[in-house]
Amino acid sequence: MSSRRSHSRQSGSSRITEDQIADLVSKLQRLIPELRNRHSDKVSASKVLQETCNYIRSLHKEVDDLSERLSELLASLETDSDQAAIIRSLLM
Amino acid sequence: MPSSSSSFLNPHISSMNPPVRLMASCTTPCSLRTRFALRFLKTLVKIKRSSPPPPSSSSNSSPEKTRRRTQRIKRAAYSSMARAVGRRRAWSQALMLKLKFSVKRTNQHPSLSPTKMGGPQKAPRKAGGRILVIKRKNSLVKGSPWRGCSGVDELRRLVPGGESMGLGVLLEETAHFVRCLETQVSVMRSIADCFPC
Repeated sequence: MSSRRSHSRQSGSSRITEDQIADLVSKLQRLIPELRNRHSDKVSASKVLQETCNYIRSLHKEVDDLSERLSELLASLETDSDQAAIIRSLLM
Repeated sequence: MPSSSSSFLNPHISSMNPPVRLMASCTTPCSLRTRFALRFLKTLVKIKRSSPPPPSSSSNSSPEKTRRRTQRIKRAAYSSMARAVGRRRAWSQALMLKLKFSVKRTNQHPSLSPTKMGGPQKAPRKAGGRILVIKRKNSLVKGSPWRGCSGVDELRRLVPGGESMGLGVLLEETAHFVRCLETQVSVMRSIADCFPC
């Protein structure tokens, strides 16, 4: 995307400018579902960070819930069912 | 980095039923989504094999066993994603390290908060335990508006390895981390939807 930021390490003195930061923040904003529709100039950087943290936490929660669901499904799964055949064929 | 939008690759994907959708999304062999899904499924099969449900009981396993299995699955999800990303990203490296140490921790450091289960540690949650304390490099000039921003500190705790990143790196890693988490959730949901309940 932005070629301004090279992929060299940020070690030692990194002179990253405010513009680059703003660029990265707006890139982050586009990822967050809540903030995606709003105009970037109306959303402050701290709001973006806050919403990002909330979003990450909600994703972790979803992983928890799905793990539980998968755990129950694994327990109830018959070894010779159609679903198991699908899984097996996926892995071949 | 190849993006993992399966709907882009296959426009008819939304009209397919879940098992076919999962397979259709694996049309590109090298996509992150595919690499993650395969690793995760293999681990699920392993988990399934090592904890077979007793044939006679009506409730297949005790709550304890279910909880343990849930933790294993959750751990497998994060581990599979971190490995699928590989060493390309700082967050995935940090996450793999954290997972690796969280297994050994129960044996070597009993003084650290032991889990009630005594089995493998839980998969890393948001904050997770910091295993390596690295001095943070503040890459910004004094007086910068980012200095006292608590949102940054919180983000550092949420993103694996975030404690030692400069702000610019942190924001980039966060973006990638969020996209990968979304992929992880999406694949897990697809797998869960394969099985009618």
